[in-house]
Amino acid sequence: MASNESFESLRQAFHDRMESERVHFVTLSAALARADENPQWIFEDLGYRAHRLQGGAAIFEQSAVARAAGRLENAATAAAQSRAQNTDEDVWSALEALVNLMGSTDPVRAAHSVQP
Amino acid sequence: MPPERQYDSLEDSSADLHDTILNQRMETSEVCRVLVVDDDDLVRARLTALLRNADFEVEAAANGEDALRILGSRHCQIVLTDWQMPDMDGLSLCRIVRAEHGESYVYVVMLTVRDSKEDLLAGLAAGADDYVVKGAPVEEILARLEVARRITHVEYSLRRSNRENRRLAVTDPLTGAYNLRYLMKHLPREMSRSQRYLHPLAVLSCDIDRFKQINDAHGHDIGDEVLRAFVARIASSIREGSDWLARVGGDEFLVVLPETDVAGANRVAQKLKKVFSHYPVSTHAGPVKFTVSIGITALEAQPEIRKFSKLEELLRAADRGLYASKTQGGNKATAVTAEELASVDRQGD
Repeated sequence: MASNESFESLRQAFHDRMESERVHFVTLSAALARADENPQWIFEDLGYRAHRLQGGAAIFEQSAVARAAGRLENAATAAAQSRAQNTDEDVWSALEALVNLMGSTDPVRAAHSVQP
Repeated sequence: MPPERQYDSLEDSSADLHDTILNQRMETSEVCRVLVVDDDDLVRARLTALLRNADFEVEAAANGEDALRILGSRHCQIVLTDWQMPDMDGLSLCRIVRAEHGESYVYVVMLTVRDSKEDLLAGLAAGADDYVVKGAPVEEILARLEVARRITHVEYSLRRSNRENRRLAVTDPLTGAYNLRYLMKHLPREMSRSQRYLHPLAVLSCDIDRFKQINDAHGHDIGDEVLRAFVARIASSIREGSDWLARVGGDEFLVVLPETDVAGANRVAQKLKKVFSHYPVSTHAGPVKFTVSIGITALEAQPEIRKFSKLEELLRAADRGLYASKTQGGNKATAVTAEELASVDRQGD
């Protein structure tokens, strides 16, 4: 019983963090839209945050969020390495999918409406 | 201190006699401790809760450097580590664990979101024993850690068994004192060190007076108890970590006292004489009182003093001192120097 309560409180803490991270991703997407000349640091930041989110989501059994975060990490890493423009389609597509998923009050249910 | 109390104290010391004599550290617990390494505090907390629920002891670290600090202070049988972390990542941690923690095996499980074949191979090449992709069901993570627990337990059992075999190879099984094999290997080393650095080295040859009468009167089981108590008292009367004793015959023991000259050795001998002649040892047949005869000899530090050049001479001098103590009726300590031994040898010639 105690371990269930502990897990629930940790799961709630993770959901709270997802909300906070969602705000960060939205802020970064705004910064990316404006960064015509040097978006590399934004790609790197996106990649780092997405990687961290992917690991946490996987451990907290939020597989849809984990998959979406993994997709964003791969896209952002590839964009940073290829010195892509701030309009990189793969990054924007992955970013939008992840932010939409995280914006849902129930990420698990929301996952069914998002293409993997 | 009343005598009866002192017997108890001395008898109690026999319980950890092996520790006293062999200065060894036995692991008393088979608790399986897992070190969780992840830079995400919520992931650490979640894994910690899961593992504690599965009866693992858990330590947690936020990166590789913290993990190494913990591994340096506590033995963790299993390390469950993330790959990507700030400062030191999981691969580097794995390599260092393999390079530095060789005495007891540390089973490393990488738990990471990196799921390509290349990543898996890189993790195993760095020294990981298992590789789990984050997102695997909790049951799978726990099942893999159970495998780790089984393997580390087998490794622990083998290591303990090997250590016990090594200990038994140099120990007298009855008393826990070192055996003759140990004496013949280590006393020459003590002599070499003494001669090279001009440090004194003393040896006491000790023998229970009229031990046969104890066996005849009380039986061999009580005689064995007396021998064990004899060793325990000597062990508690000499310096732990430097002095040591070995059984060289039925009731004859050699006490080796590094950094001790003949005067110091004589003080130890008088102390031993007193501790046995004043206080009987407790046995199942009741208190048994006996005395001890001692032969003393030493390699002195001063270069001008004649030295024993061979182990045999040193042992012969101690034995001669013991013989002299016995012929004077026992309960005596007699010192024989190298000069005196040479003189006796000349007379013999």
